[in-house]
Amino acid sequence: MGAPKAPNKRAVTLIALHLLLLVYSLSGIFSKNAAHEPFMSLPFILLYGGMLVILFIYAIGWQQILKRLSLSAAFANKAVTVVWGMVWGFFIFGEAISALNLLGAALVIGGVVLYAQADAEEQRPGDPVDGDAWIAPGDAPRKEA
Amino acid sequence: MLELYIGIYLLGVLISSVSQVLLKKAALKTYDSPIKEYLNPLVITAYAFFFGATLMTILAYKVVPLSMGAILEATAYLYITFFGVTIFKEKIGKKKACALALIIAGIVIYALGTPQ
Repeated sequence: MGAPKAPNKRAVTLIALHLLLLVYSLSGIFSKNAAHEPFMSLPFILLYGGMLVILFIYAIGWQQILKRLSLSAAFANKAVTVVWGMVWGFFIFGEAISALNLLGAALVIGGVVLYAQADAEEQRPGDPVDGDAWIAPGDAPRKEA
Repeated sequence: MLELYIGIYLLGVLISSVSQVLLKKAALKTYDSPIKEYLNPLVITAYAFFFGATLMTILAYKVVPLSMGAILEATAYLYITFFGVTIFKEKIGKKKACALALIIAGIVIYALGTPQ
């Protein structure tokens, strides 16, 4: 069995990206739980705070991923969050998933992957592609004096 | 009932997308100091919108199933494309238009398959 001598960097990045997306999907569990607590009660604040912490971790991780992977590849993989949302909804909150739901989800995932491909072909790196790709103000291009 | 809360969720995604555009606009500017890079009206407004959007998501989740959340989130691609075309003067190709049509069709079919 010949194991590869050097670890495949792209594979490592993709695994890291998917772990990050898994963590990101947990923010929904916090939001959903917060929704059932009285506004500004202690449980609400803790759950809301937990969600913000996850989004913060995600924003930092996403920037790191984008140093190693194209924006469109990252966004194509981000479609997996649709699957995680359904998994958590089904197993944690006992939500029903119908056949039409599965079909609709498949179309959305296909659409997101196609969008990312189209974006790559249009060659416009650095665009904000969706509301979650947090562009930190510190990432602004700064003119050297 | 569900429609109303789906509407709140979608409005939240729109506001979040607007905050993204504001940050993009802020990122295109040059600033005298690192502090001004963060503490300027554009960035502060963007973050205010972002927090507002997260609260709207939580409000929507009182009724909207978690499993539908990520589906509704995909409307961000529509908004961002719209802002890209109108504000940043980007062109939209056929493939991207097809992708957006797929996303819309998927969201509609998903919603039709969700019992009230």
